Amino acid sequence: MQNIYLAIVLAPLVAAALAGLFGKTIGRAGAHTVTILGVAISFGLSVYVLNGQLHGDPIYNAVLYEWAELGGLSFEVGFLVDHLTALMMVVVTFVSLAVHVYTIGYMHDDPGYQRFFSYISLFTFSMLMLVMSNNFLQLFFGWEAVGVVSYLLIGFWYTRPTAIFANLKAFLVNRVGDFGFLLGIAALATYTGTLNYTLTFEQADRLAGTSIEIFSGAHWSLLTFACICLFVGAMGKSAQVPLHVWLPDSMEGPTPISALIHAATMVTAGIFMVARMSPLFEHSEAALSVVITIGALTAFFTGLLGIVQQDIKRVIAYSTLSQLGYMTVALGASAYGAGIFHLMTHAFFKALLFLAAGSVIIAMHHEQDIRKMGGLWKYMPITYGTFVIGTLALIGFPGFAGFFSKDALIEAVHASETPGHMLAYWAVLLGVFVTSLYSFRLLFVVFHGEERMDHHTKEHLHETSPVVWLPLVALAIPSVAIGWLTVGKVLYGDWFDGSIFVRPEHNPLSEAAESFHGPAQFVAHGFEGPTIYLALAAFVTAWFLYLKRPDLPARWQQQFSGLYRVLANKYYFDWFNENVLARGGRLLGGFFWKVGDEMLIDGAVVNGSAKTIGLVASVARNLQSGYLYHYAFAMIVGLAALVGWLVFRT
Amino acid sequence: MNWPLLSVVIWLPIAGAIVVLLLGSGARAQLGKQLSLGVSILTFVLSIPLYTRFDQTTAAMQFVEKVPWILRFKAYYALGVDGISMPLVLLTTFLTPLVVIAGWQVIKLRPAQYFASFLLLEGMMIGVFAATDALLFYIFWEAMLVPMFIIIGVWGGERRIYATVKFFLYTFLGSVFMLVALIYMYSKAGDYSIASFQALPLTMNEQVLIFFAFLLAFAVKVPMFPVHTWLPDAHVEAPTGGSVILAAILLKMGGYGFIRFSLPITPDASHSLAWLMIGLSLIAVVYIGFVALVQADMKKLIAYSSIAHMGFVTLGFFVIFLATANAPGTDGARLALQGGMMQMLSHGLISGAMFLCVGVLYDRMHSRQIADYGGVVNTMPKFAALMVLFALANAGLPGTSGFVGEFFVIIGSFHASAWLAFFAATTLVLGAAYTLWMVKRVVFGAVANEHVAELPDVNAREFWMLMVLAVAVLIVGIWPAPIVSAMDPTLGALLDHVVQSKL
Amino acid sequence: MPTTDLVTAAPEAFLTFAICAVLLVDVFLRDTQRNVTYVLSMLALIGTAAVTLHVSVDHRVLAFGGSFVLDPTSGVLKMFAYIIVGVVFLYSRENLEQNGLLKGEFFLLGLFGLLGIMIMISANSLLTLYLGLEVLALAQYTLVAFNRDSAIAAESAMKYFVLGAIASGTLLYGISLLYGIAGTIQLDALAEHFARPGGIGVPALLALAFIVAGVAFKFGAVPFHMWLPDVYQGAPAPVTLYIGSAPEIAAFALVWRVLVEGLGPLHDTGWQDMLIVLSVLSLGVGNLVAIAQTNLKRMLAYSTISHVGFILMGFIAGTPQGIQAAMFYTFAYVLMAAAAFGMIILLSRAGFEAERLEDFKGLNARSPWFAFVTLMIMFSMAGVPPFVGFYAKLVVLGSVLDRGLVWLAAVGVLFAVIGAFYYIRIVWFMYFAEPTDREPLAAAPDMRIALSANGLGLLALGVFPGLLIDLCARVLGG
Repeated sequence: MQNIYLAIVLAPLVAAALAGLFGKTIGRAGAHTVTILGVAISFGLSVYVLNGQLHGDPIYNAVLYEWAELGGLSFEVGFLVDHLTALMMVVVTFVSLAVHVYTIGYMHDDPGYQRFFSYISLFTFSMLMLVMSNNFLQLFFGWEAVGVVSYLLIGFWYTRPTAIFANLKAFLVNRVGDFGFLLGIAALATYTGTLNYTLTFEQADRLAGTSIEIFSGAHWSLLTFACICLFVGAMGKSAQVPLHVWLPDSMEGPTPISALIHAATMVTAGIFMVARMSPLFEHSEAALSVVITIGALTAFFTGLLGIVQQDIKRVIAYSTLSQLGYMTVALGASAYGAGIFHLMTHAFFKALLFLAAGSVIIAMHHEQDIRKMGGLWKYMPITYGTFVIGTLALIGFPGFAGFFSKDALIEAVHASETPGHMLAYWAVLLGVFVTSLYSFRLLFVVFHGEERMDHHTKEHLHETSPVVWLPLVALAIPSVAIGWLTVGKVLYGDWFDGSIFVRPEHNPLSEAAESFHGPAQFVAHGFEGPTIYLALAAFVTAWFLYLKRPDLPARWQQQFSGLYRVLANKYYFDWFNENVLARGGRLLGGFFWKVGDEMLIDGAVVNGSAKTIGLVASVARNLQSGYLYHYAFAMIVGLAALVGWLVFRT
Repeated sequence: MNWPLLSVVIWLPIAGAIVVLLLGSGARAQLGKQLSLGVSILTFVLSIPLYTRFDQTTAAMQFVEKVPWILRFKAYYALGVDGISMPLVLLTTFLTPLVVIAGWQVIKLRPAQYFASFLLLEGMMIGVFAATDALLFYIFWEAMLVPMFIIIGVWGGERRIYATVKFFLYTFLGSVFMLVALIYMYSKAGDYSIASFQALPLTMNEQVLIFFAFLLAFAVKVPMFPVHTWLPDAHVEAPTGGSVILAAILLKMGGYGFIRFSLPITPDASHSLAWLMIGLSLIAVVYIGFVALVQADMKKLIAYSSIAHMGFVTLGFFVIFLATANAPGTDGARLALQGGMMQMLSHGLISGAMFLCVGVLYDRMHSRQIADYGGVVNTMPKFAALMVLFALANAGLPGTSGFVGEFFVIIGSFHASAWLAFFAATTLVLGAAYTLWMVKRVVFGAVANEHVAELPDVNAREFWMLMVLAVAVLIVGIWPAPIVSAMDPTLGALLDHVVQSKL
Repeated sequence: MPTTDLVTAAPEAFLTFAICAVLLVDVFLRDTQRNVTYVLSMLALIGTAAVTLHVSVDHRVLAFGGSFVLDPTSGVLKMFAYIIVGVVFLYSRENLEQNGLLKGEFFLLGLFGLLGIMIMISANSLLTLYLGLEVLALAQYTLVAFNRDSAIAAESAMKYFVLGAIASGTLLYGISLLYGIAGTIQLDALAEHFARPGGIGVPALLALAFIVAGVAFKFGAVPFHMWLPDVYQGAPAPVTLYIGSAPEIAAFALVWRVLVEGLGPLHDTGWQDMLIVLSVLSLGVGNLVAIAQTNLKRMLAYSTISHVGFILMGFIAGTPQGIQAAMFYTFAYVLMAAAAFGMIILLSRAGFEAERLEDFKGLNARSPWFAFVTLMIMFSMAGVPPFVGFYAKLVVLGSVLDRGLVWLAAVGVLFAVIGAFYYIRIVWFMYFAEPTDREPLAAAPDMRIALSANGLGLLALGVFPGLLIDLCARVLGG
């Protein structure tokens, strides 16, 4: 089995190396062939593995090689493959494969063609390392590796100032998260003496007992401390408030990676990690309520921002933020299954939406401003169709993938007992309205209404090439069907029993599971709940505002300019980071440098003492007057001093 | 084969240097160059057995040589390496050929003296690490200043004289007090062997005085805040090769001194003053991190980043006392010590590589100012790829050597206190900030000016010079176990020695 | 009995006759033939050395009623003095020739001075000591003024003479006091007298003060150093070379004979503290003022003062190790000084004396080899290993640390660092600056070879200091 897992991981790596190092020699075709082949291999094998897990293969948990061994700690590299991992593997490799194919069309005439393929294959490798890890060391490796690839890809068009600003920002914000993440790992390693998941989980109870003193007097449960630290890492990767600021800017990268990295896979690493750590989080209610609160804030408030964005990709980016918030809320509600389930469905339909948006962007000659679009549906029907499917999935229209995950999620939150779950419940509930509002706004503004693109663009408008729309179709299918097919097994079944631990006394999913009688009934039940009507309300609103009375929004902008400014400025998070944190840091550095180093240490002490010595020297040399009697006098004085001192002493 | 390996790797380069000097900078300069390269490579090859034939199960000195030298002082020409010094010796022999290559086409002024200086330096640096006799150690330690003084002064930048005199006096001031301490211990121990110094019983009062004498010497070399200000100047003014050696090896001597002298000779003083050392180390990480952020000169920025990274070394070495006190067992201390050592080795590779990168740019544009660059990637893609790799390694990316040491130290300091780990971990953000911000302004972006537009990409010499380092950085990052396990017994023994009081 | 006396004093006797012989020959030489005098003087040195070796002993032999002593130490010191004087003659010949100063006087006076040095080395009575001192001093006074046409030389000779007279006066006064107290001027007898309980009174200490003052003058310790810079600068380079090197051996002998052998018992009560004061002052003034100098000879004068401070440290300890250290330091210093002044002579030409620091600018471009030699000299003086100067400092620091004088050692190294500045300044002039004068070095091969050997000697003794250290220890019975 090990060789299969190795193959799954290494195939993309080798492909990346080939495309990256020998890009020139193998050429464009060579590059995309080899990388697609690599990812295809891992996808195929992942499916095989998942199938095996379906048919009761044992959990695989073994060490590949020992990275280092010392101080009673064994640093290892190894795989843990269970249902959770297998699911993630398939999702990752599938989306990655789709994106690889799509890229052929999207990057068609980009000079960095080979480099791009090399990067996304490298990303696939890193992501697989992350999800397949059986220990914290490798987890952190994958964690940072995906971060780096994302850094490289956001800055892929390195000549654009905005791009290289965005990628630095993304990396640094992620580093803030990793800062906490690493502390969490250190805490666990210190108190468990191992980095291995299972060995750590075994000690969860003991850890919950141990307490450490953070401030004098303030004793925390070690586990709470560690979990919150870990979650800070998740906040970075999965872009939770206030570390969400990097994700919208990351849209500077080419659209395929927005789909792959900043929607489907990497940003969900945090969700996956928390689910993976469920045995730890379950022992700390405090940590869980932090998680659910952060998630709730993210889910609702970032959703609102989606409504005022004018860049097609940024709208979807904010929707991603909001959806990540949903998943986080699920985690906080101990409905990890729901979180992961939403992660999966979201991966498909969000990737679909991004790629569809990309298809639109291609057709619009890389125009991304939705104010310059409109009425595209008749020019690019396939894109339109798939986009609609994606939208319906996103807003959770009954029957579509998103519906199952989101409804289940909302119910679970309602049923959960985590402190703060009611706030979260309202957040996600109203979030449904918001989601549907910005989704349909986007749909209407882009594909319906008057055609606002310039003449030249209009003439060349046509459906994009098969390499572009085939992946859309490929993703549209699961966006429709995956929920229906898997909800019973994955969400309400025993799928995660082996890999996710929920304390039975508060397991919101298990309660819901009792009332679950097949997807059809679940869909039917969906029409009873409030969510669908909220969504429909939003649909109507969107229709009214953006098709019937397009003038209204503009006028409202005038009337509620205050509110609008807050939204347009994204709650001033960026303003704060750039003007307070970044500039503050530079000012502080300048102060330390100029005052601390140059003025005090160098100026006063080092050169100061040198100057003093020079001064003393130049004064002392004047004693040497050249006059004989001075010299004689000096000798006499010296003699007198010696004598006098003797007399004085006796 | 039992021939004196250490003596060979010490004296071969020195002998080579003399020959190169005799060949002179005239007609036979080219020959001298080739000879220097040959000698340095041969030295490296000869030093490889130090690892392959190294017994990883013992903490004892190996490849020992002992010849009477100054009988009346019981001072011996005594050499040997253990898990601490062996990797450092290899680091030295590994980097010197690269430095020679780095200067290959660049040095036009008196090349013979240039390359000879580096060969001399190599021999002496190896001597410092290999000497097991304190007097011999001190001889090498001080003698090293002479070629370095010349290197910075002759082939340096505009303010080279200020920089090199500052460097010389700073370090000289530091070491003379160490000399006093060594003589003092000699008069108590009766001989100069470091081992007997380590076994020497000392009162707390003596220990504190000796500790500070050492501190001055080693803190200046490391360099620790607040005696670090010579480094930026020296780095900025030194020629590329000088900066590389300075950052990659000379700084390590400070760390080596702490772990070879301060900790084992004055354990109690080190223990009671650990707070001071930890404080200074954290200042180095945080304060210097911020200072590095605002540097406009690439070399200065890397110099400050070196100080910050070396802060991890001293932190790792002195946090051991708290780690053993606040957590059961010595695991944390083991991690911290190892972390310090790994950090030294990795920093040797990475800072060396970074300075070589700056050198590559400087040779083309004759400017170190970040502002003069921008969009280098457009014209030098190969170079950009390598530089970004080194930058990420400098920011401690897992999978590169830069991560290993920091990871160990952070876990180790968590054993001591969550707050120590907290401040240490800030380097994740700060390190990334100053390194990648520089990369952003230098490497990425549109072509900034016509000079950048004309930059030729790295030639074969530069490419392979950097490639070798890149490979080393990755290997150490992906599989540090071979080094870790080689050092572990020695560090374990050291720890056992240090944790029990001399009082 | 008289025969043995003469035998013990054979070297001195031989040298005296040799000097007379050379003098006679010189009278009949034409100015173009002065090299004969040079050769003869060299032969005289070699002869004296041979005789010294012949009569060398491994124990103390007293002669002339106990006022003259022959012991292993004196043998070594004398041999060393011969070598140095020989080196001085060798370095000087060409320079004198170029400046039209190649006269018999230089060599003859040099030999006379040497005679004085030898007498001081072998003195066992205060009067013998004083005799030797004056013979040396007179020779030096004359040598300084030896360039008749130079006003500055005459001036400094005058200063030197007057101050020297004062110093001799104080010394003589101290001697007479001692005679009054102890009733003897024989050193070992004095030691016995003061070793007796209650032997030390205020008068003794008073006498000591005067003796120390006189001794300090000879050494050039602060505040009795004033003559040194002016004389060094004023005298022609070869003379400075002479004054700066060989007499230091005499000074060492002086201190050792009088303070250690004669007044040893007064170490703790008296002269240890006095020397500490002198030593610290010398270190301070020497190193600090040297920084402000632009004239190389003057700078070296101050560096001499600072080195004296270190030599005194050895005596301060008072232990056998201390004396050995002082002796080692003296030897090391004399070697370095000879080399340094030799370098000045090497760079000098007819009518031009390379005595300004600027004259060393860009030397590396002119002659890499001699730049390197100078580098070795300077770093050796600064006390940087692997040069002999480092061990000199090592041993004296060791001796004071043995006495528990940690603070003194700290002061010493601190000033050593400050002092390092003006030594490395010369190195940077040579290596980092562009040459101001591009004249190729014109010096005779014998000079070049000797100077190179001298420089390499500093390195060789730095790598293998054991021999010299052993020698010092053996002869002083450590």
